[in-house]
Amino acid sequence: MVENRPFGNALAHFILIAGVIVIVFPVYMAFVASTWDAATIANGKLGLVPGPHLVENYTRILFEGTGGTTRAHVATMLLNSTISAVIIAVGKIAISLISAYAIVYFRFPFRMAAFWLIFLTLMFPVEVRIYPTYKIVADLGLLDTYTGLSVPLIASATATLLFRQFFMTVPDELLEAAKIDAAGPIRFFKDVLLPLSRTNIAALFVILFIYGWNQYLWPLLITTRDDMQTIVIGIKKIVAVQDALTEWQLAMATAVLAMLPPVLVVVLMQKLFVKGLVETEK
Amino acid sequence: MASVLLDQVVKTYPGGFTAVKGVSFAVPDGGFCVLVGPSGCGKSTLLRMIAGLEAISDGAVSIGDRVVNKVEPMDRDIAMVFQNYALYPHMSVYDNMAYGLRNLKTPEPEILARVGEAAKILELNDEMLKRKPRQLSGGQRQRVAMGRAIVRKPAVFLFDEPLSNLDAKLRVQMRIEIRKLQRRLKTTSIYVTHDQLEAMTLADMLVVMNAGRVEQVGAPLELYERPASVFVAGFLGSPPMNFLDGVIEKPGLVRLSDGGELAYDHAHFGPPLGAEVKAGVRPERVTFARDGAGLPFTLELVEELGLGQLAHGRLAGADFTVALPAAHNAPSGEAQHLAIPLDAVHLFDRKTGARL
Ligand SMILES: Nc1ncnc2c1ncn2[C@@H]1O[C@H](COP(=O)(O)OP(=O)(O)OP(=O)(O)O)[C@@H](O)[C@H]1O
Ligand SMILES: [Mg+2]
Repeated sequence: MVENRPFGNALAHFILIAGVIVIVFPVYMAFVASTWDAATIANGKLGLVPGPHLVENYTRILFEGTGGTTRAHVATMLLNSTISAVIIAVGKIAISLISAYAIVYFRFPFRMAAFWLIFLTLMFPVEVRIYPTYKIVADLGLLDTYTGLSVPLIASATATLLFRQFFMTVPDELLEAAKIDAAGPIRFFKDVLLPLSRTNIAALFVILFIYGWNQYLWPLLITTRDDMQTIVIGIKKIVAVQDALTEWQLAMATAVLAMLPPVLVVVLMQKLFVKGLVETEK
Repeated sequence: MASVLLDQVVKTYPGGFTAVKGVSFAVPDGGFCVLVGPSGCGKSTLLRMIAGLEAISDGAVSIGDRVVNKVEPMDRDIAMVFQNYALYPHMSVYDNMAYGLRNLKTPEPEILARVGEAAKILELNDEMLKRKPRQLSGGQRQRVAMGRAIVRKPAVFLFDEPLSNLDAKLRVQMRIEIRKLQRRLKTTSIYVTHDQLEAMTLADMLVVMNAGRVEQVGAPLELYERPASVFVAGFLGSPPMNFLDGVIEKPGLVRLSDGGELAYDHAHFGPPLGAEVKAGVRPERVTFARDGAGLPFTLELVEELGLGQLAHGRLAGADFTVALPAAHNAPSGEAQHLAIPLDAVHLFDRKTGARL
């Protein structure tokens, strides 16, 4: 905007800055807490400045574990979470791209039935079908595996619907031009549809990665071994110790570490978003 | 190089609507055929059936000596230029043109040569070849779409209103370029438009369609001078032909509805006496009669075109337009008389619309 309204600008900035403070302050406090020792926190002497135990706390949590209920170290948990979140995000995107392609571009018997079936599964998130899913995963011997952690979460109606909507906005002439240009269905998908969906894929990847990262109930059910734990469960276990003082500084360090990968994904993918917004293709 | 033959082609859409009702015509090898007709008459449908993008409900389409009803678009040896160009938005101009060739496993040096050649013909420079389609103007996009068609060296070019997204000036320019290009490549072409001027200027062979049927096929001038029906007569020419209702009184004379007399050439028209007719007169064949002879005409409005004038008014109870060449100004005053030469009068059956 070219308008020059000092008061309006100041007010807008004030509100935005206030919002940032409200959101950032707790995160900052978590970080501060992760740099002191347990005693300082327990005594309520925690101030606003970081303490001297930063390196010590983070090395301990990353590579040694807490010695409490969870014996795995955070590095392993981070790895587990990353692997399952990536499998979930990539798997969901791959499956929904393919199924949306089938539904939009092919005429086959029971096409609409297939579409409505997919639509219906929207009403059955993991929590609803958790017992049968658990039973299947257990019977297949997939407890405590990455497959068990991720595959049951992959089937995704939301992403399928999103891609379906997007494919329907792609002009028919592109398909027809491709047909005349001797591109079969697979070439059209690979050479035209996929590149056009690039920004949608990036957006979904961010959302789905975070979805996978934040899973709590499912990993809690199907992992029993410490070295298969995900970080979200790890935090919970570090906090919930029995007959001892919760080591808050370690819990906070874990929380800070747990925030980093999603933040990284958002930061990296943001470029693609902006690019997608600036250069409107199609 | 190939001829295209349509034999009683019918298209019924899944909903039951018959958009093309038995169309037959043949485009000779190297010919430029223009399909023209009002919106919704089935031109695009017909073209898409030739391209293989739409199934053929009945009849046969042959390209060369081969019936292609069941042949996939990519195996028909055709290339198509779409109204909205349908360029791949994420590919560079070069890749857009090269895509079809790559899919056909053409060796890369050959692709480079062919795209280079097409780019030269279409005056697309190297820097433009690197751009994405959205970084080009409408006219340049149009050229790329043409380029994509010509690099394939197909037997037949199909165009579906390729110029309708351009402004009037560019349209005229591109029209000339398309014609030149086709002369040079001598590729059989079928071109769809609803612009009768574009149709007249481009075609070797004009096919006028109306409501899913062919009204008339022939050379543009032939259709202009001897329209087979009221529809063709009214469709070709701008401003359109004037029509007057009347009855044949004696050979060579039509009695108009207001009692006026219109003479026609009875060596060319042989309607029975008493037949109810529509007499058609092209606006540019009429002149103002200064001496008070001729048919009475009420002059209502004069439009200045620069190139000449259009005088609108009423004659024998119908709207009537006279086109005057430059330097022949319309006379002033409402009450005028028009001189209509004998050979300017076309007669059509009032009921069927057919030429008599
Ligand atoms: N997929 C379809 N299903 C049913 N009817 C259709 C379909 N496509 C076109 N039609 C109908 O067929 C008729 C001919 O359509 P077509 O697109 O061939 O017209 P056109 O002559 O190209 O017109 P325009 O000059 O407006 O492009 C129209 O009445 C249209 O409504
Ligand atoms: Mg059309």
